[in-house]
Formats: sequence, C-alpha cells, structure tokens
Amino acid sequence: MTLLELHDVTAGFGAVTVLHGITMSVAEGSIAGVFGLNGAGKSVTMKAIGGTVPARSGQVLFEGEDITRLSPEKRVARGMGHVPQGRQVFPQLTVEENLRLGAYTLRRKDKGRYGPALDSVFDRFPVLKQRRQQLAGTMSGGQQASLAVARALINQPRLILVDEPSAGLSPVAQLELREVLQVVKDSGVTMVLVEQNIAFGLSLVDTAHLLQTGVVVHTAPVSELDDDTLATHLGIGKVLAGATGSALSARKGSKR
Amino acid sequence: MTSAAVRPLRLQVGRLPVPWTVVALLLAAVVPPLAGGTALLSDTHALVLAKGAGFAMAALSLNLLMGYAGQISLGQFAFVGIGAFVTGMVTGVEDLRLPWLVGVLAAAAAGGLLAFLVGLPALRLRGLYLAVVTISVAYVCWQGLFRIESIGGGSAGKVIPRPYVGSSSFSSNADFLALALVALVVVWAVDAQVTRTRIGRAFRAVKADEQVAASFGIDVAATKLLAFTLAGAMAGVGGAVYGTAYGTVTGDTFDYATSLLLVVIVVVGGLGSRAGVVIAAFFTVLLPDLLVALFGSGIRGLDLVLNGVLLMLTVAFNPEGMAGAVRHSRELRRQRRGGEPPLPPTRPHLPDLGRPAGMPAPRKTRPGTAVLEARGVSVRFGGLQAVDGASLRVDRGTIVGLMGPNGAGKTTLFNALSGALTPDSGTVHFLGEDVSALPPHARAARGMGRTFQLIGLAKDQSVYENLLIAQHLAAPYGVLAALTSLGSRGWEKQVRERADHTLDGLGFGRFRNTPVGRLSHGQQRIVEIGCALVTSPELLMLDEPSAGMSPAAAEDLAATLLDIRDQLGRTVLLIEHNVPLVLGTADELYVMDTGRVIADGEPGEVVTRPEVVTAYLGQAVTA
Amino acid sequence: MGQVLVLGLINAGIYAVFALGVVLVYRGTGVLTFAQGEIGTLGLYVAYVLVTEQHLPWLVGAAGALLVTTALGAAFELLLVRRMVAADPVSTAVLTVGLGLTILACEFFFFGASPRVLDPPFLAASFTVAGVVVTPTQVAALVVALALGFGLQAVLRRTDFGLGILAASQDAAAVRLVGIPLSRITLVLWSGGAFLAGLAALLVEPTVGTVTPGYASELFVVGLAAAVIGGLTSLPGAVVGGVVLGIAESAASRYLSDANIPGLRYVTVFAVLLAVLLYRALAPELRRRLAPAPAGATA
Repeated sequence: MTLLELHDVTAGFGAVTVLHGITMSVAEGSIAGVFGLNGAGKSVTMKAIGGTVPARSGQVLFEGEDITRLSPEKRVARGMGHVPQGRQVFPQLTVEENLRLGAYTLRRKDKGRYGPALDSVFDRFPVLKQRRQQLAGTMSGGQQASLAVARALINQPRLILVDEPSAGLSPVAQLELREVLQVVKDSGVTMVLVEQNIAFGLSLVDTAHLLQTGVVVHTAPVSELDDDTLATHLGIGKVLAGATGSALSARKGSKR
Repeated sequence: MTSAAVRPLRLQVGRLPVPWTVVALLLAAVVPPLAGGTALLSDTHALVLAKGAGFAMAALSLNLLMGYAGQISLGQFAFVGIGAFVTGMVTGVEDLRLPWLVGVLAAAAAGGLLAFLVGLPALRLRGLYLAVVTISVAYVCWQGLFRIESIGGGSAGKVIPRPYVGSSSFSSNADFLALALVALVVVWAVDAQVTRTRIGRAFRAVKADEQVAASFGIDVAATKLLAFTLAGAMAGVGGAVYGTAYGTVTGDTFDYATSLLLVVIVVVGGLGSRAGVVIAAFFTVLLPDLLVALFGSGIRGLDLVLNGVLLMLTVAFNPEGMAGAVRHSRELRRQRRGGEPPLPPTRPHLPDLGRPAGMPAPRKTRPGTAVLEARGVSVRFGGLQAVDGASLRVDRGTIVGLMGPNGAGKTTLFNALSGALTPDSGTVHFLGEDVSALPPHARAARGMGRTFQLIGLAKDQSVYENLLIAQHLAAPYGVLAALTSLGSRGWEKQVRERADHTLDGLGFGRFRNTPVGRLSHGQQRIVEIGCALVTSPELLMLDEPSAGMSPAAAEDLAATLLDIRDQLGRTVLLIEHNVPLVLGTADELYVMDTGRVIADGEPGEVVTRPEVVTAYLGQAVTA
Repeated sequence: MGQVLVLGLINAGIYAVFALGVVLVYRGTGVLTFAQGEIGTLGLYVAYVLVTEQHLPWLVGAAGALLVTTALGAAFELLLVRRMVAADPVSTAVLTVGLGLTILACEFFFFGASPRVLDPPFLAASFTVAGVVVTPTQVAALVVALALGFGLQAVLRRTDFGLGILAASQDAAAVRLVGIPLSRITLVLWSGGAFLAGLAALLVEPTVGTVTPGYASELFVVGLAAAVIGGLTSLPGAVVGGVVLGIAESAASRYLSDANIPGLRYVTVFAVLLAVLLYRALAPELRRRLAPAPAGATA
C-alpha cells in the first residue's frame, strides 16, 4: 500500500524555484532514499513533504489524503515524524524533556499512552534511559543522533523523515547511527531518507530516487542500481567510487 | 519574466546614490544665498532646512553605527544635545566666546568622548546591550544632565550665538543654511572616506559576523567602539549645527522620542545608504509643515504617527529601505538585460601572489624545521578535558590530515593552534618561533590562514568585499590615515589588485558583486579558501572543508588541495571525516580520540591500525 | 536603612513586572522588545477613558486596559512580526521601536501633552512600615511581581507548552517538527508580554495621579535595565534585577538628596547598569588572571 505520494510538486524560496515537478511514491513499511548533487533539491523535497516549505503546485498525499495545504504541525499530528538535518535536538533540555516534547501530539491526544511509549523507546535505546536527566547538548554525536531518532519514534508516527543524518558524523558514529536506523526499519515504520553520503544511504534504503535540478530522473530498487547509473546521475568519479561501489555490492550480496 | 515580474516600488530618487550628485545639489542650494545676498528661500524655510542639515548629520552618525557596524543606539539624539550645549558653552557670550569652528570641534570631541565612555563596557558584550544602555543615556541627558543650570542654561535655555567672520555674521537664516550645508558635506565626505577603507570594511565584517571578523584579524570590540565613537563625534557636529540654527536650546529639545525618530530616518532611508538617509532626514524635518500646509493645523502631530507607522512597515516589508528599493530595480533591469550568469567552476585555478607588502615575510627557517609544531597541548573546559597533551608536527609542503570521532577535540586543538583559545598547557611553534602567547591576529600576520566548519565569510557582503576584508592585516594603516585618505591609497591599490587576481584565479569574476550568501555551499567553500589564500599564508588550516559537499564537489576539492600543495608549494592542515578524501590527499595522518593523539603516520597504514579502527572507523577501510 | 529597603521594594515590584515582560518575549523569541513602556501608557489611557471619563468602576477600567494591551500585542505579532521579510531578532527589535514610537505619537495626537487624572486601584487606607507610608497598591505590585516571576518559571518547566517555549528559544524550526504550533507560541509570548506591560503600568501608584504621553516609558527604562541585570533569560532574575534597582534608587535619593542631582533615578540606573555590564565584560578575563596557573604551564 502506498503511504506517501508526491504528484508533480513544485516548490522554492522567493523568486527561486527549486523543485520543478517532483513525482514519487513511498510504499508502507519501505525505506525510500532521495539522492542527488548539491542543489538538486533533496532537502527541499523533504521540506515539501514535511510542510516547512509548502508546495506551490502539485499534490502531497499522505495515507491517501491530500495534505498539500496542511501546516507542518498538523502533519506531525497526523503521523509524520522528523529527524531534522544536523540532529537538531534541544541542547539545553534534558533527554527526557526532549522526549516529552517529541510526544507532544501524542500527549495531547491521550496522556495515558505516553508512559508505555517512553518505556518502549527506553527499551530500544538503553543509553537514553541511563542518561535521561542529562542535557542533550552534552552528549556525543552518536548519542544525539539516537535521541533525535527516539524523539521522532516516541510520537508513534507512520512515516519518519530523516534529513542527512550522517553529515558531520565520524565513521564510528555513522555505524552507530546505521544501527539505530536499522532498529527503526525493523520496527516497520516507513522512512524517507535524504543523504549526501550515498554509501551510507544505499546501505539502508529499499528504493532510490535520484534527483537532478529539482526533478526525479531515476527511480529504482537498490538491487537494480549499478555504478554506471549512479555515475550518470550523480556524477560520482574515481575518488569516491570505491566506497560507494563496495557499499552497493555489500547490499546486493546481502540481498542474495 | 516580462509582465509577470514583480516590479518593486519605484521611488523618484533617480541616480542619487552617487555622492557627487548630492554635493552638486547642495552647492546649488548654497551658492545663490552666498552670492546674491538676497535669499531665494523664505527665512522660515531656510531655518527649517538648516535644522534639517543638523538632523541629517545626526542621522548619518546613526547610519554609520547601524548601517555599517550593525550596532543600535536608541539615544543618539542625546549626543546631538551634548554637541549643542557644548557649542553654546564654548561660543556663548556669557561663556568662553570662542569662534564657532572651535565650538564645532569641541562638540565633536565631547560627543566622541561620551560615546567612547558609554561604549567601553557595553560594546565588549555581544548583543543589543548598546541599545539598552543608550536608552538610559537618553534619559540621563534629557532628565538629568541638560537640566543642570551650568550646562542647559536652566528654564531659559542655552543661547548659542550665530557665527561671524570678521564683521559679517551668519545671522540671516539663509546664510547660516549655507554654512550648515557645508558642514553636512564635510561630514558626508569624512563618512564616505572612512567607509571606503579597511576601517569601514572592518565595520561591515563585524556587522555580518563577529567571529568571522575576528578570524580575519579584526579586533571586534575595538572596531565597535571606534564606530560608536565616530558616530558620537558626528552627532556632536550635527548638534552644533542644529543648536546654532535654533539659537536657544533647552533640555526638552533633545527628548527621547527624537532619538527614535533618527532610527526611523535611518531605517526608512535605507541602512548603509548615505543619500537615502540624508533625503529621509530632510523629509522628516519638512513633514510637519507640509502636512499642516496640506490639511490645515488640525493635523499637527500626525507626522510623528506617520513616522512610527512608516518605520514598522519598512522593517516588516521592505527592510532595505528606499535605497534598497532603488537598488533592486537596478538589479532587475540588469538581470533583464544580461540574464542569469553561468555558474563558476568549482575547481579553481589558484594564483600565486606572493606575500603582501604589509605583512612580514615568513620567517626564514633552517631546513628540517617544521612549519607548525605543537607539543603537549592541553585544553580544559570546566570538567571536560577537551585536548589532553596533544602533539603534532606539520612539515613544509605537505598535507597533514587530522581525523577523530565527534568530540575528540580536533576543532579545539585547531583553535589552540590558531590562537582562538589559550591552552592550559603546552607550546605551539610556528616556523620555529614560539607563538603560544600570541593572539589570533598576530598568528595570522605571521602566516597562518584558516577556514571554519561553518563557512567563515561575511555572508551579506560580496565576494570581492570578502576578499578585501580578508586582507585586513595586509594593509596596516591607522584611523587617521583612513579618515584623511592620506597614506591609505597605496595600500588600498595593492589590496584591490590582489583581490582582483584572486577573483580571476577562482573563476569568480562574474560573481564579483554577488553577496556570498547567494552562492551555493560548494562555491562558498571555494571563496573561503580564496580568502584564506589571498594573504599567501605559509600554512592553511581547513576545518572539515568537504562537509555538506556532494561527492563530485568533494572530488574537485581534493584536486584543489593537491594544487595548493604542488602548484603553490603551501602547507595544509586538514580536519576531515571524509576518509577517501584524506587518503587521496594527505601525506601524513593524525587520529585523535578523547583529546589524545592515538595514532600518526602514513595515512594508508594508520587507518589499518586496530586502535584507529575501534575508536574512529568502526570497520576496516580498503584503501 | 529600613526606610531605604521599604522605599526600594515599593518601586521594585513595578520595575520587575516590566522586566518580566521583556524577559518572557526574549526568552522565547530572542527579541529584545522596546515597546513595553508605551504599551503600558496606552493601557493607562484606556483605563482613564473608562474610569475617569465614563465613570466606570476601576476594575472595569483595568480589565479594559489589559484587554486592549493584550490584543495589541497579539495584533502586532499577527500583522507584522509574523509577516516579516527579514525575521532576525535585531530587525524585530527595531520593529518594536516603531511600535513604541507609533503609540507615543498617537497619545500626543489624541490626548495632547496635558496630564490626565486616573484614580489608584485601591482607595483603602495606607499604613506605615519602618516609618514609610505604604499603600495597598504598592504592596500589590510587589506581590504580583514575585508571584509572576516564580509562577511563570514553573509554568515554563512543568507544562508541555511551556517546555515548547523553552525549546523554541533554542531551535524554533525543530519545534514545528515535533508538532508544536510555533505560531501559537509566538502569539502567546507577544500578547503575554503586552499583557505584562499593561499590568505593570496599572500597578503604578499614581503619585501625582496623572497620565501623560510617555509616562510609563520612564519606568520601563528602569525595567529594561532590570531585565538586563537579571541576565535577560531568567524570570526570577528579572525580579531580582527590579529589587536591586529599586533599592539602589531609594538609597541614592536618600543619601544624595543634598547634592540635588536632576534625573537621579536615571543616573542611578545608568551607573548600576554600566557597572554590571563592565563586570560581565571583564569577568572572563578576571577569572583567568586570578585562577592559579595550571600545573605544567611552563613545561
């Protein structure tokens, strides 16, 4: 079943149009990856889905309903969760306060569901339980990433939007993050993932959407992607092809 | 693009942003009364215009502060008051009876001195503290200082006599108007001169981003204080003219509300636009009479309401003021003519400019001396040992990588090396010299250049302007040279030539006047590296240059780094998470974890060591 | 000494309530607001029209004043702050300057410079503490300030919405992404700030019983300084700042009364403000100089 659909969405800032008609759909329970060069419109696509940059034309459908005109807050209340770019946790609030804010719409609907939701998040991320009274800003990069993901999960969303989670993380923290996202994936929550780091992204997603200048130029399951396609659409050359290629072959290996 | 394009509000100010046009206009107003003797203007109008000239100078002073240095004064009219009363005390018949010109200079000195004293504590802190403090200044002056009999002249007010030359006096309002306009032109010229120089560039850099300004060697607190002091002196001169126009002033002439009116003038006229501000000042002075003439005297007082509303509408919907509206319409016209310029290359050709004349040549060292050597550097933040006895050596003509998990202390070590913070222990040697105790601008002067994790550029300034700001230390002339343009010309020529060469080399010629903030992230990174290289530093320190870059742009960056080493023969220290990038460029690699250096050596070998794999990579890298 | 304290505390309450409005807005939006004083004066004129001209009970006048000021704050947010092209805190601060100037100009335009008479809130008998005559209004001002300072602080920490305000000051964009309506937060903050400005002005014991244009601004100047002294982000700090300035002012007027300094209130506030800022600017430097040199510094 299709959970999220974009039909010919255009969007931009001021006089600049960044998205020139994005069309894509995300199946329930799957992980969709959005890849592209700087300025291709990856982050704006994410913001058009989340509502912080509203679509100028076209349609955004969530669970079959048109949400194109809804505010970001309303979309969250309907079951969208965010792991924003730069892991924007609230640095001067404690871990628990961050989680309480994450469950804002859940607590408004039914306060009784908060306790069990908190417990289940703590079960999945024991490190957060240990540090529940710590200020979020004083945790390591990997732990903040966990908190950002947990903050989105605790509201029990149907779709999580993850925007460039690996940026600025060291390789070891990236591995930690990958495990966290794997937990989300295993729990069956649908995810849209935007990544600059293609090797990292390809290791997680089921379907890849390749963007160029605000248009989806190629959509394929990861198992059908090859180096040449990536090179054509993303301009990956010799310096980095090794890492991406190995990530790709690792993925294909695991599929088989 | 043709009919659908939104046309900005067209204000009929023509080509006024060119200063000479204004000078000519002013001369046209000055010459007739001087030459003809019979005033073309009515006496009342001449008086209003003379007050307007004083008002315009006060507005220019606030424009220098707000529009250039980015600081807000909500009590600027208090400095105008100081100027007026000091002029009265110096020139008054019952006081010192000195010539008017002495009174004007005394007014400038008094305004500048008060600003200096007030700014000293308020400007060392970041934020709007100056605004808060200047409100207090306005009330202290209005309700306190100006009510002291010997300063304010009591309830009768202070008499400020009109100046005289020989036997002829400027007692007619038309004659004094001429003098007032001459004063305005002088203040304008000084203002224009200062903002053209490194001092003015320092103001703009501080306004854009204080941290970035500091990294280019600009002393932020001193720069803000200088701006406020200059503004105080300009306001003082404005007060001398304003007060002399009135003839008698009381404390209530300089109430708090008029300070707010100056804010209106500067914002509505257009922050940073002298012409816009001066026009707005005259308009504001003429407005009350204009309204009464149009709608009758029942309307008196409405002008202030209009001003308040105008300020809100401008800030909310047209923050660049009327000068901005003119600029936009020009830009649109240019775009219609030329269309969008093509994108510049992301792989620049970097010119080798050699050391600028204003900076000392790099220290001669014996062969084998490291460019940079840190020994046992430790930095502690509260309970956190951020860097713990780190040592590192960078040899000439190499690229050295520095990797480590988030929070390992890489950027902190970088800051200790560049002087942005003082380590608790350990030494830093640069080209064999111990620089451990030197502040960042002194290290920059010796040949250290650096970039920041988040782009370290003045985002609202053009590419060219950033290249000029980056040479702050390469044109070391002082405030006096800047004020008079004597002694600064040669430096400015050199600085501009270097900026032009770098611009061409980067391939950014068509983006010369584009605000940096409008470029893409990757392009900004190139400009940042260009700014770091424009003073030809011996060592270039880059903090995560590939962050936020696409793979293709990261490849171009790798090539650029190799060019810096191989073509320019420079040395590079590089913090990076992009392992392939480091492996593809670095000659030597250091790895940090929890504040310590845990490994160093040949990059391909270092990344295979178990401790590096555990602490940083998490899995083996196949190089 | 006791007199100085009592006299100081009398004014402290009003300064503190003004400061609380500044801190509330700053805490949530990062914007320093300069319009509080004139919003307060506007409230007084509303109360004047209702109570003195229309002969309605004082409480009705006060309710009307608070209603108008709160609505003005809300309208300001809805019509201007929300729609700003360049929505940085400094521009918004200048916007509040425009609001203050506009209200001040309207006061002159509609009421003129001549003073208007407004009754004090409580006509009950005053009493004497440490030789100082204290009126019920003055006690009320202090009680309201303390209750608000600590009450609001508790609301911010304990409720989800309050926590959202704290989060908004750290990262406004992320607040929307967890589903908290940011526009509601800013609306509440700006109208709350304006409400506090109206409240502060109503609590002023009209010593001369009159309202003139810019009347409450003269007190707001002190309240703004109190907010800065209290650290700008701390609600209890704002109350402390108000108390410090209130006592400093009464001490100055007691001990410097012979010097006959005009505008002594502002001179005192200015001196304390500069001293506090100077200390803050130099504190890091002092701390480094005074700290014992770490071991191995000379190695």
